[in-house]
Amino acid sequence: MHTVLIVDDSDINLTLIKALVLKLGDCTPVLFDHPVAALEWCRSNVPDLVIVDYMMPDMDGLRFISAFRALHGRDEIPMLMITANDQKDVRYDALLGGANDFLTKPIDRVEFSARARNMLSLRTGQKFLADRAEHLSALVDARTEEIRQREKELIFRISRAAEFRDPETGAHIQRMAHYSQVIAVGLDLSPAQQQLVLEAAPMHDVGKIGIPDYILLKPGKLTPEEFEVMKGHARIGHELLKDSRSEIMKAGAEVAISHHEKYDGTGYPHGLKGNQIPLFGRIVAVADVFDALTSERPYKRAWSLEDACKFLEDGRGKHFDPLCIEAFLAGWDQVLEIRQRFRDEEAPQI
Amino acid sequence: MAEAFVLDRGSILERLGGDEEIYAMMVDMYLQDVENNCTAIAAAFTQGDAAALRREAHTIKGLLATFSDDGGAVDAAAVEHQARLGEIDGLGDAVGGLQQRLREVAAVLKAG
Repeated sequence: MHTVLIVDDSDINLTLIKALVLKLGDCTPVLFDHPVAALEWCRSNVPDLVIVDYMMPDMDGLRFISAFRALHGRDEIPMLMITANDQKDVRYDALLGGANDFLTKPIDRVEFSARARNMLSLRTGQKFLADRAEHLSALVDARTEEIRQREKELIFRISRAAEFRDPETGAHIQRMAHYSQVIAVGLDLSPAQQQLVLEAAPMHDVGKIGIPDYILLKPGKLTPEEFEVMKGHARIGHELLKDSRSEIMKAGAEVAISHHEKYDGTGYPHGLKGNQIPLFGRIVAVADVFDALTSERPYKRAWSLEDACKFLEDGRGKHFDPLCIEAFLAGWDQVLEIRQRFRDEEAPQI
Repeated sequence: MAEAFVLDRGSILERLGGDEEIYAMMVDMYLQDVENNCTAIAAAFTQGDAAALRREAHTIKGLLATFSDDGGAVDAAAVEHQARLGEIDGLGDAVGGLQQRLREVAAVLKAG
């Protein structure tokens, strides 16, 4: 069923056009004898065809057309303007101003029907394309989301693979990723960046896959040579993830290579200083260290929250970016909630 | 001044696709509105409102054309044109002529 808006200040014309519209079939005419009231109706209703007279009080047909076209989503609705035979200049203005076609007075039924049907066919085509585009867009969104979820799951599982070779746990990945997000929020990063760091942070230690077991699982302190090998996990992680077309993987590569850099330039692998260190690396450094300190390991007991905070404070401007420390502490309530949500003894949520 | 109005029912009906129902409805509406149209154009002229006079003359032009009164429509178009130029002082006779024409057409329609 098509909605046909008819705007004409003459009752006899309104009645005539209404009758002709009804003869078209499958149409509901909506009549207005005043253009301002018609425009008001159009703010909350979308007609399929507009038939508007030229000469009307307060607002002529040309002004009505441009006001209608200015409404959101009304730029393609077919519009027919009714003019007198001697108004060639008005017809040109109407066509240039956004009318699709015009009708001349006195109205001829054959001409009216042909033009109105053409306009309604145009509208039907528009609706079909719009529906199809909307359908395809929804389909693409759904598929994209599916792929994205798969990508996230894959990333988590890859990260877990690395962590399984390490005393650290799946819950560690979850906690440090969420702490990273808390810091991103505190730094006022965009929601997209907050989400990205949450998804990329779990890959920080993925390069441990390439570290020999005798080093990775060594219960005691590493020798300087062994520590050099261990430091290689940053580069290995970067190698694994770099050059990906995935935003998350690219961010993961950045996190992997930079999360052991220190703000004062004493970190590895590049010895970058301050803002030379990628922001995600600075964020993850705080989140990773805090969680490592406050977690129990076979070789150490968990630090108290107070001691861990003091460590972060002491490392402000040395190990850590001061702004990241501030952002982390500003989100302390969320930090506590995350600790509760992802406990070591619980199975990690994938 | 246009010649006497002669009802050409055939041409009107042809334009309406032979639809007697619409024709009858339009005649009824014309007869109902004719005095309002006469009053409106007279008021516009008396008040010296060129824009309103132009609009009323335009409406009458459309009405008369609907009933195939080409002569009457031409007279209305002349008033509309003068009003658009803002030259309405000398239009008293023309306005009176249009009122007369509207009533003449009404009488013919009523009879026919």
